[in-house]
Amino acid sequence: MIFTIFKKELKETLRDRRTLMMMLVIPILIFPIIINITSSVSSSFQEDAATKKIKIGIVESKNGFLAKELSQLPEALGKKELVTYADTTRLIKDLKKDKIQLGAYVSANFQLHVDSMIPAPVVLFFNATDLGMQERAQGYMSIIEQKMQVERFNKLNISQEKTQPIVSEYRNIASDKEMIGKLAGGFLPYIFIAFCFMGCMYPAIDLFTGEKERGTIETLLTTPVPRWQILFGKMGVVVLSGLLAASAALFGLFMSIETLNGIDNAELMAVVHSILSPSFIVLLYCLLIPLTVFFAGVMIPIAVYAKTFKEAQSIITPLNIVMVIPAMVGLFPGVELNGLTACIPVVNIVLSTKELIAGTLDPLLVALSFIVMTILAVLAVFISYRRFDKESNVVL
Amino acid sequence: MIQVSNLSKTFDLTRQQRKELNTEERTALAVDNISFRCEPGRIFSLLGPNGAGKTTTMRMLSTIYKPSAGEIIMGGTDAVKNPQEARRKIGFLTGSTGLYARLTPNELIQYFGELYGVSKDNIAKRKEHLYTLLDMHDFQNKRIGKLSTGMKQKVSICRTMIHDPEIIVFDEPTSGLDVITAENIIHLIQNCKEQGKTVIFSSHIMSEVDLLCDDLAIIHKGELLFSGTMNDFKGQMQTDNLTAEFIRIVHQSQNA
Repeated sequence: MIFTIFKKELKETLRDRRTLMMMLVIPILIFPIIINITSSVSSSFQEDAATKKIKIGIVESKNGFLAKELSQLPEALGKKELVTYADTTRLIKDLKKDKIQLGAYVSANFQLHVDSMIPAPVVLFFNATDLGMQERAQGYMSIIEQKMQVERFNKLNISQEKTQPIVSEYRNIASDKEMIGKLAGGFLPYIFIAFCFMGCMYPAIDLFTGEKERGTIETLLTTPVPRWQILFGKMGVVVLSGLLAASAALFGLFMSIETLNGIDNAELMAVVHSILSPSFIVLLYCLLIPLTVFFAGVMIPIAVYAKTFKEAQSIITPLNIVMVIPAMVGLFPGVELNGLTACIPVVNIVLSTKELIAGTLDPLLVALSFIVMTILAVLAVFISYRRFDKESNVVL
Repeated sequence: MIQVSNLSKTFDLTRQQRKELNTEERTALAVDNISFRCEPGRIFSLLGPNGAGKTTTMRMLSTIYKPSAGEIIMGGTDAVKNPQEARRKIGFLTGSTGLYARLTPNELIQYFGELYGVSKDNIAKRKEHLYTLLDMHDFQNKRIGKLSTGMKQKVSICRTMIHDPEIIVFDEPTSGLDVITAENIIHLIQNCKEQGKTVIFSSHIMSEVDLLCDDLAIIHKGELLFSGTMNDFKGQMQTDNLTAEFIRIVHQSQNA
């Protein structure tokens, strides 16, 4: 009978446009849309910033050094036009009005400093709200500085090597897979948790509160099917909806990485492909199924208790934040899976998944996380059953 | 046959409900020690004003509510101790019954047939019989949400009768329906009687009661004020008509 109820509830759920939107359409489309918009906006911004012709205002003495050096820089570093100013007051005023995008003040004794081989001061003005301008100025100045440094070494007849006492070489022993796992691995379960919760929400409300509100629950309760079987049939659809929504989101993310060039780096793509192996996906679902059952078990008592769809929605929606915050904790680099974190629901699943992606999993801790989550899921199902069995909750 | 003995139902009141009812009591007695008997091939009517305890009684008979005290025997099965078994014998229909709007009548009837444990062959046979009887063939594959009230009522009847129950419980089955739609229910009740089924229906519409019932009970504030045959009731009337007599009995109990 559980399967009969499951089949019917699934059929009804798949015919509900609102649930379909939340369960499949939005999760599938969200990442392609976000990645498409982000990549097109950022690439157009980068292109724009690199090719943008900027005006640089300069205050320095006639036949100044900086103007000469700047004009000699290749155009590949960005087109520029130099404007001479008599004082910094006017220069700053024009910078504020965006008539110029960078400003430089070279003091009158600049050349004296250069000749005396002591650091020569240059003040650079930029507007931090005009993104990329500070970087452009730093780029120009570092080239000019390097050129002057070489000239100074030559003048002093010193080999550049002699000024460098130590050659430090930093070697990273972590594989790319480990780094992705530890630093960004929490993102995958985070997406799963957020969409899983959203996917569970509408079917839970529709199948419990909705049935009560529409007056169909009475007839169902007069059939010779034990209440626990009715609960399990319905709960199966809630869990499946959550898993489907989360899988759809991951599928959307994967497709956008594959087809929209979400990741440009070929090496990184190879690592991503190696992470997404069938055994990883099976293990991931093993960890996430008890979590989804736990979500369903938390939502169902609320949906059973609520008298209207609106009431259920107003209680469950804020719960979303309560559930997703622990998932965010797992996103922070440095938060590791240990005896304590393995006992914290939601956090333990995020951290276990991170370890799984990095390939550094401790089987005992992952097993502990799984057991903790399974115990909580069973407890949540038991509470759901107690609520569903209470006649005042089921009938209006 | 339905045998109800010393049936009571007490509900726990929440703080909100106590506030609404302006009472300090932690419980409310909805049905107070009532007993009656419904015979096969006869129609029994449970009469009472709004809030009398009719729906609570009907929900206990259909095993949705568990009684606080008393016994219910449905077709020889103790419905309190063995509700699952009793449900196989009961068809339950209320005026406020909702249907799954996203399913078609065919899907809904099939679903309930399976829930009642009817074999696939029997579901097909019963469906064909009921569709012909209720003239449902034309809309059997349309979504229920798109059907008219009359069509939906026919689907409800079909759902109630798919497992050919020996006892039918109707809780205010015609409430909210127009006379034409209500006629389907009246015919159904009469058909059930002809087939020798046990029929109990709750109502506060005296014309319906006069037309259909053989036996009746009057309930008010959870207490049984009268239980007997329609002929007995008519024989001891102190007013001109059934409605006036019903009102008189209710008022008399309030003043007592």
